[in-house]
Amino acid sequence: MRPILLQGHERSLTQIKYNKDGDLLFSTAKDHVVCAWYSVNGERVGTYNGHIGALWTVDVDPTTTLLVTGSADNTIRLWDVRTGKQLKMWEFPTAVKRVEFSEDGTLLLAVTEQRMGHLGTVVVFPITVDLEAEQVDAPSFTITFRESKATVAAWSYLNKYIITGHEDGRVSQYDGKTGELIKDVQAHELDMQITDIQMAPDRTYFITCSKDKNAKILDVNELKVLKTYVTDTPLNTAALTPKKDFVILGGGQEARDVTTTSQRQGKFEARFYHKIFEDEIGRVKGHFGPLNTIAVHPQGVGYASGGEDGYVRVHHFDKPYFDFAYEVEKMKG
Amino acid sequence: EDQFEAEVANKEVLEARKRQLDEWRAWRARIEKEVRWERVDLGLPEDPEEALREAAGEEEDKIVE
Repeated sequence: MRPILLQGHERSLTQIKYNKDGDLLFSTAKDHVVCAWYSVNGERVGTYNGHIGALWTVDVDPTTTLLVTGSADNTIRLWDVRTGKQLKMWEFPTAVKRVEFSEDGTLLLAVTEQRMGHLGTVVVFPITVDLEAEQVDAPSFTITFRESKATVAAWSYLNKYIITGHEDGRVSQYDGKTGELIKDVQAHELDMQITDIQMAPDRTYFITCSKDKNAKILDVNELKVLKTYVTDTPLNTAALTPKKDFVILGGGQEARDVTTTSQRQGKFEARFYHKIFEDEIGRVKGHFGPLNTIAVHPQGVGYASGGEDGYVRVHHFDKPYFDFAYEVEKMKG
Repeated sequence: EDQFEAEVANKEVLEARKRQLDEWRAWRARIEKEVRWERVDLGLPEDPEEALREAAGEEEDKIVE
């Protein structure tokens, strides 16, 4: 499983996304540039230029027509995937930390940062998946966080709910049409920030991870914690693997936050856990700093990780990965 | 005696895993059925992938015209 190293970013990676077919990979970093890559060989397809601040987040619609990015320059920008042309820009009073298209591509959510005088929000825009279309200027609704700000957010199946992960470790469920709060759970340790949320392919459940060193799977309807993965390092990212029942977790403590060298060893690895049995089953080394983002190929044939070290590593799974199974999994259900 | 205990422990682990697997599979079957019904109620194709393919197909038709 020799990885392909993508060199093109000069600063730490913030998010990676595959498109629906898995042939393209999009990456954002603190260096103001958005990159598109061929996932099969790591060749750079192109860049999307225009942001004037660090980039925090990227997503691509399910038809690979529109790319959306969010930045510390307080804007969301919409791009033509193929030409790299900027189609739309929305401005906010604060940085945009997370963007995500709904499963049908017709809605866009964005998490905006909380800062002196401005509360954190989630804004929702209707999107016309058409390069010629005039996109609306104003959000259809805004969710405002008076208590703990949201750090991440995602759409459930059928756009029923917006699920948010918060700075204080809570996970909340909002009505996807009105933005009304429905349910709230303290999924992670109190005041330990939730750092990632990724939906399962059918968006009926999702994985979250936190600085509390745990990752959890919750269902979108009840927000019931179904699975817990315990690690020994603060987590930045968690992903689910289609085809195999695994999860991949990434994180690691910054060198400056570690008091002894022994603690630092072996922390910059992608960790594989069995999704159902919650056991750790393997690790993949490579990065020289914490893993900030992990994305899994939609067909489950590989994954990519982006590090604080400025590198993206693309892995293609080999036969032993697909052959791996617990005894009980081999038995006839 | 040690061997006996180990065998018992192994058996327990195996049974716990079997239970976890059965629970997960039962939940998946239930939720997948629920989602299909919700989609049908909304007049959508049962499979969201199919809906996306249809939308893409329609666009291509437009170009042909």
